[in-house]
Amino acid sequence: MTLLAWAIVILRVALPVLILPLFVVPLTWLERRGAALIQDRPGPNRVGPFGLIQPIADMIKMFFKEAITPTSADRFLYLLAPAIAVFAALSTFAVVPYGSTIKISGLEVPMLGADLSIGILYIFAITSLSVYAIVLAGWASNSKFSLMGGIRSSAQIISYELAMTTAAAGVILASSSFRLSDVIAMQQGTWLGIIPRWNVIPQFFGFLVFFISAFAETNRLPFDLPEAEAELVAGYHTEYSAMRFGAFQMAEYVNVMVVSAIMATLYFGGWSLPGFHPRGVLGALASLLIFMAKSFFFVCVFIWVRWTLPRFRYDQLMKIGWKALLPLALANLLWIAALEMWRMRA
Amino acid sequence: MTAGRLIFDLAAAAAIVFSGLMVVGRNPVRSVLSLVVAFFALAVCFVLLLAPFIAALQVIVYAGAILVLFLFVLMLLNVGREVPDKNVRPIQRVLGSAAVLVFAGLLLGMFRHSGSHVPAAADPVDPAMLGDPAALARLLYSDYLLHFEAVSVLLLAALVGAFVLARREHAS
Repeated sequence: MTLLAWAIVILRVALPVLILPLFVVPLTWLERRGAALIQDRPGPNRVGPFGLIQPIADMIKMFFKEAITPTSADRFLYLLAPAIAVFAALSTFAVVPYGSTIKISGLEVPMLGADLSIGILYIFAITSLSVYAIVLAGWASNSKFSLMGGIRSSAQIISYELAMTTAAAGVILASSSFRLSDVIAMQQGTWLGIIPRWNVIPQFFGFLVFFISAFAETNRLPFDLPEAEAELVAGYHTEYSAMRFGAFQMAEYVNVMVVSAIMATLYFGGWSLPGFHPRGVLGALASLLIFMAKSFFFVCVFIWVRWTLPRFRYDQLMKIGWKALLPLALANLLWIAALEMWRMRA
Repeated sequence: MTAGRLIFDLAAAAAIVFSGLMVVGRNPVRSVLSLVVAFFALAVCFVLLLAPFIAALQVIVYAGAILVLFLFVLMLLNVGREVPDKNVRPIQRVLGSAAVLVFAGLLLGMFRHSGSHVPAAADPVDPAMLGDPAALARLLYSDYLLHFEAVSVLLLAALVGAFVLARREHAS
């Protein structure tokens, strides 16, 4: 391999890991200003124009606060938990294509970390590990509020993961591949000349299940029971302070961005648009912008929903997961299977 | 030795070490975590054996779902450190040691014959298709259909059994 090829490989691996945390900074500002807008109050508007420097001030505050470890905590696991949270959040993005291919001195470089043949399964494998961060944080803190948060989270994430995976199975079936670039390739073009061939149209209910489960998987309102500040102080991260708490916050925002990107890829054609054929560097940049715009839309929906809906009760959460979302996801899978069989006959 | 072989050996060693830690450990939560690491190491082995699909399932199903349920139960019951049982009957020690010796003998016998004895190529699978989900599915739903269905019936029986036990306790 030439030096250039090596540099490209390292960039492909490092870019998502380096860039995603950078987006967290404006995202916290967006969340707080969005909350203020919805609740009809000004929000942070003192530091810099429109309060834009506020996240930086918050970051400095977190870095310089005292990091307290509870005396009776399991020290090793207590410190490991936030590390797992950040690791799982960042490494999920490795297989998501964020743009078309770009040509660098004769080399065709696809804009994604790794085009794995098991891309979708990789995403589920890594996200299923993120639950360990919350469960371990809850257990290792040796506090009853944290423990309650951890227990709630383990049951919640398993229940909703099932519905989420079953919904995604519809996408896998339709594209007959686990590879995310194949999923995007299969969503090119239009039906009847105007309707984009996005998965969301034949699999609207699958998308709905995936969308609702995404809120539960990222512990965002209305499914933030592991945190539930009204009942559990701060749930699983009650005993965390300073940047260890910051790590959990960062993981949450990265998760919101990654799950938005996954929804845009699985159901809305990823970086592609009907009639758009990226050419050259400008085309590649345009595809990147399309991908970011689609993801940004879902990020905004996440913020909008958080400050609009109240929290579910725990029994309601379980009822929705097992009695509404799972059957709906199964029905969607059956419908897609029937559709595929009909297509194979025709 | 290639880099792949080195990683494989390291992952295999990690799987063995962490399985051992799982058995020896006195803290149940740490035991579960050792098992998670062991499963992860096993998944790495599967990837290097050109079976990424099995590796993904290993992580999703075992590390991601079953062991999380283990943790859930441990935390719900708030199981503390395991205290070594003082009333060990002598016969238990004798039988236990005998079982370990037999198992070690079996392992040794297997290792002695490995390498020289290559299993017959019973399944006509194209080596290039190894680890391919479609090839796996074809085998599972044709040659091994009966085994597959038998296992699913077994799981269903376990599920119904758990349900019946839980309900009976609830009614009384």
